[in-house]
Amino acid sequence: MIRYVIRRLLLLVPMLLGLSVIVFAIARLLPGDPAALAAGPNATPEVLASVQREFGLDKPIPLQYWDYLTGLVQGDWGVSIFTRRPVFEDIVTFLPATLELVAAAMLIAIVLGIPLGLAAAVWRNGVLDYVTRTVSLGGIAMPRFFLGLLLQLCFVTWLDILPLSGRFPLIDLPPEEITGFYTIDSLLTGDWYALRVSLAHLALPALAMSLSPLATIIRMMRASTIEVLQQDYIMTERALGLSSRLILFKYVLKNAMTSTLTVIGLYVSWLLGGTVLVETVFDWPGLGLYATQAILSQDFMPVIGVTLVIAIIYLLSMLIVDLLYGVFNPKVRSS
Amino acid sequence: MNLSRRAFIGTTISAAALASTSFEALARGRKVLIMASSVDIPNFDPHVATGYAPQMLFRNTYDALVRVVGNPPEVVPGLASEWSVSDDQLHYEFTLNPEARFEDGTPVTADAVVYSFERIMRLQRGVSWMIEGVLESGSVTAKDEGTVAFDLKAAFAPFMQVLPWMFIVNPTEVEANLGDDDGQAYLLQNTAGSGPFRMGRVAPGNLYEFLRVEDDWHKDGGNLEGAIWKIVREASTERMMLQRGEAHIALELYAEDMDALADVPGVVRVVEPEYRTFSIKMNTAKGPLVDANLRKAVSYAYNYQGMLDSAGPAELMIGPLPTGIFGHDPDLQVYRQDMEKAKEYLAKSEYADGGFTLNVMHATGYENQRRWCLLLLEALKSLNIGLEIQPATWPDITASAQSADTMPDFYCIFQSANYADPDNIAFAAYHSSRNGQWQNPVYSNPEADKLIEAARIEIDQTRRAEIYAELQVLLVEDAPDIFGVLEKRKLALRDDVEGYVFAPVAANSIELLPLSLT
Repeated sequence: MIRYVIRRLLLLVPMLLGLSVIVFAIARLLPGDPAALAAGPNATPEVLASVQREFGLDKPIPLQYWDYLTGLVQGDWGVSIFTRRPVFEDIVTFLPATLELVAAAMLIAIVLGIPLGLAAAVWRNGVLDYVTRTVSLGGIAMPRFFLGLLLQLCFVTWLDILPLSGRFPLIDLPPEEITGFYTIDSLLTGDWYALRVSLAHLALPALAMSLSPLATIIRMMRASTIEVLQQDYIMTERALGLSSRLILFKYVLKNAMTSTLTVIGLYVSWLLGGTVLVETVFDWPGLGLYATQAILSQDFMPVIGVTLVIAIIYLLSMLIVDLLYGVFNPKVRSS
Repeated sequence: MNLSRRAFIGTTISAAALASTSFEALARGRKVLIMASSVDIPNFDPHVATGYAPQMLFRNTYDALVRVVGNPPEVVPGLASEWSVSDDQLHYEFTLNPEARFEDGTPVTADAVVYSFERIMRLQRGVSWMIEGVLESGSVTAKDEGTVAFDLKAAFAPFMQVLPWMFIVNPTEVEANLGDDDGQAYLLQNTAGSGPFRMGRVAPGNLYEFLRVEDDWHKDGGNLEGAIWKIVREASTERMMLQRGEAHIALELYAEDMDALADVPGVVRVVEPEYRTFSIKMNTAKGPLVDANLRKAVSYAYNYQGMLDSAGPAELMIGPLPTGIFGHDPDLQVYRQDMEKAKEYLAKSEYADGGFTLNVMHATGYENQRRWCLLLLEALKSLNIGLEIQPATWPDITASAQSADTMPDFYCIFQSANYADPDNIAFAAYHSSRNGQWQNPVYSNPEADKLIEAARIEIDQTRRAEIYAELQVLLVEDAPDIFGVLEKRKLALRDDVEGYVFAPVAANSIELLPLSLT
């Protein structure tokens, strides 16, 4: 098992290397002049040239890539040409907000999706099945930003029970930073006011983000459960007189979980890469907004940095999913 | 299956309850003003950064010798309590307010002023272009601790108008953190000023907090204890924050947001003209639009009324200068849609039959710019000319401005006046020394250059206005741009904000000192 994990982790290196070449090439070969933007609207040609020198933009692109790569190995992810801040520090600042949002969305999707999918399969063609089917279709079809606006209209404008945007009330100090996750930091510091307020701020964006994975998990869970329920060994267990609860949670759930796990793993990275719109609507200060700003100003170091971070998280989440297969299916473990 | 439905419903309700914790409204006790804006403040160095969000930070954490306030903009004392100007306007002397203190408590001296101006000229970034050719190293001298003198290389009529943007840094603090880049790395995220506010929390891309300096030397301020510049990407979110009282000022609102706020209790809307022009620049150095007659034909074919109708609160420009600024001629004869004249000029051009396609570039995401490009398409179609519309990001647009070869045939830009003087727009947009810059990629006319230079150094205001009148006639005749609209500044504030006065220069760079919350 450990050798397998190490082998998979080592495989990350060539993958990330290849990805960095592609992203660097795309970012640098695009038309436009980020140096002109950084130099300011009234910069003289001399100033422009000095900015290009400062950021190494006057060098040939392969040399720029080599400088970037050698810096990366030493922990230097480059400097944003627009803000002049180190990219790594920016990513460390913005990543926890996005991870917290994605984690909350996935938590909602998993906690609701798995039991609802199971229930829909168990009471197939019942009321709950029809309701979850309708919600699933809507959830898959509805764009997240639109759902976000609808949630704002409902819970903020009409009911006025949740905050409109942001991560924490502006004039309050957020909880002391330990992990960067406000909810966890509030718990760790025992700050219950901060926990309540950060959960309130998290609720709507997390709901907006969760609907799509929720819908997919329900559908996937329902389909797998129905398939497993029709297996001979389930019939046998019923014939042996095992209780429905035991059959469902001990034998059906485990076997139905494998395909759902793949979906969960894929959704983690999909949500990470797709937080931009929800972060924009809810003004959530995360990686998505940071990346958007960088793309619009052709600030390529942050773009490459964000891409690499998302790729690393994606590859790691897929590794975790692969390892979890073993937990649910001993055949996978032994192979 | 005998599995209880109650168990499933229970799980679902628990999860839903987790997500719907009741929201506690913002505490109202503290006098903290919240401004919602979409623009970030990436750099705190007053001699490097530009743009209205950084300018807001500079106006509140630093001081300049003088300030600009009101409508029309008026120069009032800042660090300098009084000043004198020689008759030839080549020598200025400023007496510093002896009360003025930097944040660390040390007095603001003439040496600090000299240090700051030398740094501005040395770095050649940010606002240095405003004094380029006017001051040089050694032009600013300390006569004594409280008196600073400026010896200009040549008379520069708008000199007092540019001074409010030349902020004074604390030399001791900058020298202590000089590094190898003249303190740029330090001032990127630190301030070293004498302003009435200092920085509190700094969360790039999210919020910037300003805290009132204790025992501040500024007089007659409002009651603010602090302020927050909150980055909000969506105008609709800005509007909702204002409606709910989560923000006191929303700075970037669209016409539809202003309409939606019309009857909202507790909200005051501000719709004011400002010195921000929109024009469609033409490539006068390459391609068919080198032909002045074709440019005039296009100028006459354009549907200006359609442009105004789609602009929201706005007014049409009368010539190249913004209405209301010194020297603007409101009676100037400008182009308005007249298809007969358009065809007359087309016939005089080398392209009488049309039959070719031009291209226009506009900024992605600006719906109005897209609409105005469609009006251009319509105008050109009537002249049997095609148009390709290219949306582009701002870096692409600035990159295209580098030369006549890279510039498209038409190019859409807004241009704000950084200081309340026609020189700002005239020099940046029409002087040939600015070729290659986004405000004036290619236009070059020696006659226009002469007039712009003459107006810059003219001391007599009547004569200066005459020169600008002459320049405006010349530019209209030359038709380098389709002179478009002056969109009105649209912002809104809560009615508990007191002391706000709109200024048409740097309107969004809110000055916090005079403001109060009731």
